Amino acid sequence: MPKTEVKIIGFLCNWCSYAGADMAGTARMKQPASLRAVRLPCTGRVNPLLVLKAFREGADGVLVSGCHPGDCHYNEGNYYARRRLEVLERMLPALGIDPARFRYTWVSASEGAKWADVVNEFTQQVKQVI
Amino acid sequence: MSMNDLIPAIKKVLEEVDVVLGWTRSPAAGVAVPARFHTPDEADGAIFDSTCIHNLAVHLPRLKNSKVGIVAKGCDARSIVQLIVEGEVSRDRIRVIGVPCPGVIDVKRAWRCYGFGKKIEDAGGRVHMEGRSVPREEILLHKCHQCRDQEPVIVDLAAGDVTSMTPPPPPDKSGIRERFAAMSITERREFWREQFSRCIRCYACREACPLCFCRDVCSMQTREPHWTGGQVNAIESEMAQQVRISHMAGRCTGCEECERACPVGIPLMLLLEEQNKIIEELFAYRAGASLEDKPPLLTYDINRDGGWR
Ligand code: SF4
Ligand code: SF4
Ligand code: FES
Repeated sequence: MPKTEVKIIGFLCNWCSYAGADMAGTARMKQPASLRAVRLPCTGRVNPLLVLKAFREGADGVLVSGCHPGDCHYNEGNYYARRRLEVLERMLPALGIDPARFRYTWVSASEGAKWADVVNEFTQQVKQVI
Repeated sequence: MSMNDLIPAIKKVLEEVDVVLGWTRSPAAGVAVPARFHTPDEADGAIFDSTCIHNLAVHLPRLKNSKVGIVAKGCDARSIVQLIVEGEVSRDRIRVIGVPCPGVIDVKRAWRCYGFGKKIEDAGGRVHMEGRSVPREEILLHKCHQCRDQEPVIVDLAAGDVTSMTPPPPPDKSGIRERFAAMSITERREFWREQFSRCIRCYACREACPLCFCRDVCSMQTREPHWTGGQVNAIESEMAQQVRISHMAGRCTGCEECERACPVGIPLMLLLEEQNKIIEELFAYRAGASLEDKPPLLTYDINRDGGWR
């Protein structure tokens, strides 16, 4: 039986996805209340341990979102992040965590609609496996 | 190889260094134990055989102020290379003595089966323990079955022909690796919960690892950042190990020392081997394989990265 309420921790880059999420909010786009956003200066700040710790503290899903590759405010933060997050994602099955509970993605400040889609879709996905 | 090659090599290297890290025979147990040779006389006690299981590279970052010689198997040489690549050891401060490796025996497992402290003899393709014997491929360390380091990547002086044995095929297909691979994600969650409930937070895994060199600022223990508490329970201990494993990404050479050191037998290599495989698939990188490679998580490649999704 899929859970109805899930808790998702979002680690969002201040310069893009956080603003995108804000925009989706101001435009009153329909989004689930599942996401708890943590605002970070850049995805380069996302230590993979933040994700593992969120799971350990009981998060149902963890979403990391930042500027599109090439658009990082600090030029290269998300290039480093991309490598770390990919390794983390592939490690999850061995750690005994369903990889469907984790996603990293790129959403810019102007993509409010895309943001709403990402959150809706990811929330559905998490509900399926929790 | 006979000690006729090794002992003169150590003596030669002692002319330029303060100490040589190698092995001698434990009079009590008969197996190899790590030793430090400071003088030619001491070097007469040096041995190399298939019980020389230890990765002596772990001592290099702790001997920062001396010139050090080190006897190294193929896989140990990779740890040394990785330490140089990471800037922990300077190349001109060390002298590496390469040895031809026959594969090393899982001494702990042998003793668990046949009695602790039993004399181990490796001869004629079999390992003998007081009257009993098993084919040596049954008791070799897992890493030796898939050894890709027959020739050390870094050698200053070779004790004999340093090309090692061709690895024999792994014997049993019903080991822990196969069982783990067959588990569902939920079963793995249970598995790790159970495994880490036995962890006593001794940090032997970290101390045995040549590439765990943060010493007193290790995040498995620090209050700030507070990744994990000091309580000894499955949840905190698993988090502590996740800290270590994530810090090993792109750094672990697969030497198996953490697992060997663990007093409660947690199969840590299941996680490290998986991570090493992922790193190699994504970045074509094997830690310690070359002095020129840049550790994959300290760099990026705009053109290729992301193509893996
Ligand atoms: S992995 Fe290779 S070099 Fe290392 S101990 Fe085994 S056989 Fe020797
Ligand atoms: S060596 Fe084993 S028991 Fe000790 S801290 Fe590491 S995992 Fe825990
Ligand atoms: S500033 Fe947004 S990912 Fe770096």
